[in-house]
Amino acid sequence: MKFLCISCDEAMKMQRAAPPDGGGSISAVFACPSCDHRIAMLTNAAETQLVQSLGVKIGPGEVAAGAPSEASGCPFSGMLSEMEATPSDGVQWTATALERLDNIPEFVRPMAKQGIEHYAKTNGHLTIDDEVMEEARGRFGM
Amino acid sequence: MKTYHDIQGDGGSDVIGQVKARQQAIDTALAGVRHVLAVGSGKGGVGKSTVTSGLARSFQRRGWRVAVLDGDLNGPCQARLLGVEGQPWVPGEGGLSMPRSAEGIGVVSFGSLLPEAQPLDFDSVSKGEEHTWRATREFAMLAQLLGSMRWGELDLLLFDLPPGSERTVQFADFLGARASFVLVTIPSDLSRGVVARSISALRASGGRLLGYVENMAGYYCHGCGQVKPLFPSAGPPLKTDKLGEIPFDPEWASTDDGVSPGLEATAQQIHDLLEASS
Repeated sequence: MKFLCISCDEAMKMQRAAPPDGGGSISAVFACPSCDHRIAMLTNAAETQLVQSLGVKIGPGEVAAGAPSEASGCPFSGMLSEMEATPSDGVQWTATALERLDNIPEFVRPMAKQGIEHYAKTNGHLTIDDEVMEEARGRFGM
Repeated sequence: MKTYHDIQGDGGSDVIGQVKARQQAIDTALAGVRHVLAVGSGKGGVGKSTVTSGLARSFQRRGWRVAVLDGDLNGPCQARLLGVEGQPWVPGEGGLSMPRSAEGIGVVSFGSLLPEAQPLDFDSVSKGEEHTWRATREFAMLAQLLGSMRWGELDLLLFDLPPGSERTVQFADFLGARASFVLVTIPSDLSRGVVARSISALRASGGRLLGYVENMAGYYCHGCGQVKPLFPSAGPPLKTDKLGEIPFDPEWASTDDGVSPGLEATAQQIHDLLEASS
């Protein structure tokens, strides 16, 4: 989808995008680079969902971080509430270990985290660091 | 006035760029994979998943490095079939490490993350209209998975496809030229009719079909040592090569291994075709 400023015959640029509100609507502001005429694109919930289903982020550059992302399509949502009710029982994560989690798709992150915490607890580790994760990978993974 | 095609980019989100980047991530992640083989049917309940896990074991015994991706997101069973239920997916250098079966087969299946009674359920801002976006979301998720797993050097990546002729064709489009397809049927009119439709659809889409496997091709009677028919009629012949017949054998089915002589012979046939294509 593209927007054209008819007066200037110039493509409009997205300035910002807000994440879905309570009703599932995204608002994105576009402006003409020549005359600064602005419009807002407002989606309904079905349109928002179609975009989210593609697993893409909406918004220019850094603004995209605040836009809908793959997290909003988490397939494990039914389990997340149960996990939140089951705290990590004192298991701590180091910053570098958490960084590893950040590099995987958001939809598997909670489950990967839970699996590693379970491994750590059953093997007597109070802190999850790179070494523990490599140990788990060596035990279970390829 | 400018038209859509006169304007470069989309004004800010670069959605096409994001999709291309995901495709590049898949290409990079699969760069070390020699063969991608999708096992489908069109018909449900014919034994796709059992054949897939059996092929994985057979190829692994031949010395091939093998992994299985359970493409049936809504009915994943490879985790159970290959014994990796509850094993964690561990993030590491170069991506997510997949769980490994006792034999050394890599297994990516939501069945290792989701309890069997738990359906795959997406959050949605659009309640009650799941039929309009669900398939798109599932393929986007599979694409993210493919691009973020550490597949490493593999001889064979097996894809266990969900049922549905239309799904088989969608997967042909999704996997592109890198994949070959094998379809599984049983010797009944009903199943062959559905698989015949999958064959036609797959050919029309340009998918590379190696042939079909006839599962439950009779049952092996240990009393008399003969294979007896399970179905009254096999239906019309399918217009592609038959790669093997796998009779139902209660003794093999009850073992953890499940690689019967019929499955082994089928794997050999597929092995030869894959080697000839490389």
